[in-house]
Amino acid sequence: MTDRAMPLTMLPPGRAGRIVEIHAGQRLKQRLVGMGLAPGNTVQVLQDNGGPLLLAVGESRIALGRGMAHKILVQSVPLPTPRGEFAP
Amino acid sequence: MSQPRRLRVALAGNPNAGKSTVFNALTGSHQHVGNWPGKTVEKKEGSFRYRDLWVDIIDLPGTYSLSAYSPEERIAQEFITQEHPDVVVNVVDASNLERNLYLTAQLLEIGVPLIIVLNMTDVAEQLGYKIDVARFSQLLGVPVIPAVASKGEGMEVLREYLYQAAQDPSQFAPPHALVQYEHEMERSVRQLTEALQGLSDLQGYQPRWLAVKLIEGDTQAHDIVAHAPGGDEVLALLDKIMDKLRRTYGEDVDIVLADARYGFVRGLTRQVLTLPKQPPRTLSDRIDQIVTNRWLGIPLFLFLMYLMFNLVQRVSAPYMDWIDSLFSGPVPQWTLAALHALHAPDWLSSLVVDGAIAGVGSVLVFVPSLMVMFFALAFMEDSGYLARAAFVMDKMMGFLGLNGRAFIPMILGFGCNVPAVYATRTIENRGARILTGLLIPFMSCSARLPVYVVFGMAFFGAKAGLVVWSLYLIGIATAAIAGWALARWVFPEVHQSVFVLELPRYRLPTWQGLWLHTWEHTSEFVRKAGTVILGISVLLWFLLNLPWGVTDPRESYFGRVSGALAPVFEPAGFGTWQAAGALVSGFVAKEVVISTMSQIYVGEQEARMGESATPLNWREDARAIVAGFLEATRDAGKAFLDVLTPGVSLFPHDEGAQRETALSRALHNAFTPLSAFAFLVYVLLYTPCAATIAAQAQEYGWRWAGFSVLLGLTTAWVLAVAVFQIGRLLGWG
Repeated sequence: MTDRAMPLTMLPPGRAGRIVEIHAGQRLKQRLVGMGLAPGNTVQVLQDNGGPLLLAVGESRIALGRGMAHKILVQSVPLPTPRGEFAP
Repeated sequence: MSQPRRLRVALAGNPNAGKSTVFNALTGSHQHVGNWPGKTVEKKEGSFRYRDLWVDIIDLPGTYSLSAYSPEERIAQEFITQEHPDVVVNVVDASNLERNLYLTAQLLEIGVPLIIVLNMTDVAEQLGYKIDVARFSQLLGVPVIPAVASKGEGMEVLREYLYQAAQDPSQFAPPHALVQYEHEMERSVRQLTEALQGLSDLQGYQPRWLAVKLIEGDTQAHDIVAHAPGGDEVLALLDKIMDKLRRTYGEDVDIVLADARYGFVRGLTRQVLTLPKQPPRTLSDRIDQIVTNRWLGIPLFLFLMYLMFNLVQRVSAPYMDWIDSLFSGPVPQWTLAALHALHAPDWLSSLVVDGAIAGVGSVLVFVPSLMVMFFALAFMEDSGYLARAAFVMDKMMGFLGLNGRAFIPMILGFGCNVPAVYATRTIENRGARILTGLLIPFMSCSARLPVYVVFGMAFFGAKAGLVVWSLYLIGIATAAIAGWALARWVFPEVHQSVFVLELPRYRLPTWQGLWLHTWEHTSEFVRKAGTVILGISVLLWFLLNLPWGVTDPRESYFGRVSGALAPVFEPAGFGTWQAAGALVSGFVAKEVVISTMSQIYVGEQEARMGESATPLNWREDARAIVAGFLEATRDAGKAFLDVLTPGVSLFPHDEGAQRETALSRALHNAFTPLSAFAFLVYVLLYTPCAATIAAQAQEYGWRWAGFSVLLGLTTAWVLAVAVFQIGRLLGWG
């Protein structure tokens, strides 16, 4: 569970993952990278209501459509600091 | 030395980093808003004087990076590399350092003289972040200025640095290539840079930056090299280099570059930023837990919308009464007196008073409600709520084959459809873009509001707010149904395009920012009232008074054309020539519906009543005007407090009191409440204005603009007829 890559949508709320791969066209990929969704960066899922995901990327909060989130592969990582308050 | 020196500065930074706050703080009211040539992206320019130096500032569009992938990024990149500003001021959000520095890394790569404004240090401090500014500046070799632009902190230091830059901008150029790539990548970049150095015409691009862009696969960089003499050889070399790089790094060569930039950024933040041991749970996150909640999000959004329209309605009403009293009393009386004194013929007096003043006046009455509306929209945008609304609505928008991103243009449509149509440019998928553009006209723009207000106050009294709110909802529901049908049958290829949106941290908007926003839009409306609406009012007066000597407006040219159209609206309950006529002129601009009606109905009535001959008393009038304004302000204040405390009526307003203007009296004779509502539904849904059609034609082509007109006319007719007929069956007529 810790080293296998999985789609971002499978990360439970409150957990964090390191981005491994983004499957998207170059244009879209560049946009995501500019917003901080770059391979190597850590993202945390703050909310998953079945619609778009609410992510914490560093200090930014980013809304990401489910379709796109499926195509971002992450490795689950422990949170660097306790931020478990978002877990149910 | 008699000629003042000038410095050209470009302001760059992420969206939400506070770029416009810095811009406003520096330039104050010395600014000019326009568009970038050939683009619909807003361009802001301003200037200020500091000692003997004039500084011209260009506010570049907010971007997360510099590439050729979106119009905003392309503009920013082209301006910096080709227009050669003397200095670039990079506004960085101190509370979100890592992400913001990605753009900074690219600016450093370009090698322009750079000054970094570390904005919102107060927020960073609250979060417990410590930033070593001196070390920061030392590592980058460019000035770093801590600032809180919303309070003006740090702006004096910035001015001082800009003054220094004017002596010799190159002192602020980053000393050497700070962003270093991995072994093989770095070798390739250098190899390509050397080859590019041999070319003569790089259109102002720095060779190293161009080399990086070429490896990134930037098509614009590719074109520049292809057009340069000798560029073919460089491109051949690029192909060879790319082959080699792909063997090492796989297909994602561009990601390797991004990775290196983030590596640089992480290394930098590690040295200058100390995080608190326990990151605080921010207020913003706590608000988000409620605002974006699965169950609360949508009801909360609807409630805020209701609050907004109530506020628009109730707060502006006293001021509207006041302006109305100006245009029905002193203004025409004084003008008539002046025209008499000049011995003007009667027909000219009628043209000026019944045509121009009545027409423009009936539109200017709505300036207060528009100001409140624009203010409320600006508040939602600047506070950060608008992005949350898009997040909350994304799932619902998916139902229309659109995503939450399409929601922002649609919300902007509530202000004005024209900029909303242009705002669809941020949607990448062409089908989704056109679909959004076709649905925007169903979003009830502020120009339609006056019509609702006049009818609402004339027919629905205290329930006017509810009627107006229901019209907005009908617009949204119609857009939902039309969107669903169009996505299914006309745009089957529009599958969910990608939704990515930053939700900025909540913040209290500044008065200056809100005021500039409100003023910009209101003054645009007033200009329109002064030109387009004045023109139409005068034209209408002629059409109503031709053939020459016609006494019954029904017999005028305008009356005849409208009379021919009227039967079409019979099933909807408003098949009169007056109503049809108002709708015809409303096709040009919705603001004109009311001015047309007051010209037709009130003109008619006044002809019967004859002119009241009260002697002029200037001083008495002036005193009444000032007293009226003060009273309006007191009433508006009460209404404001009342609306913000829903359920509790602090200042109960008289339920029976209705605005009894000449127009509302006349409307009572022509409409029933039911046919009035059907009329409002028609006004809501048919073509918003000629300018929207033009914008649609420009963005999607004339075919789609025509389609949009047809869609509007048929939907409006079908729904207005349905409202009237069903209402009649239920016995409401």
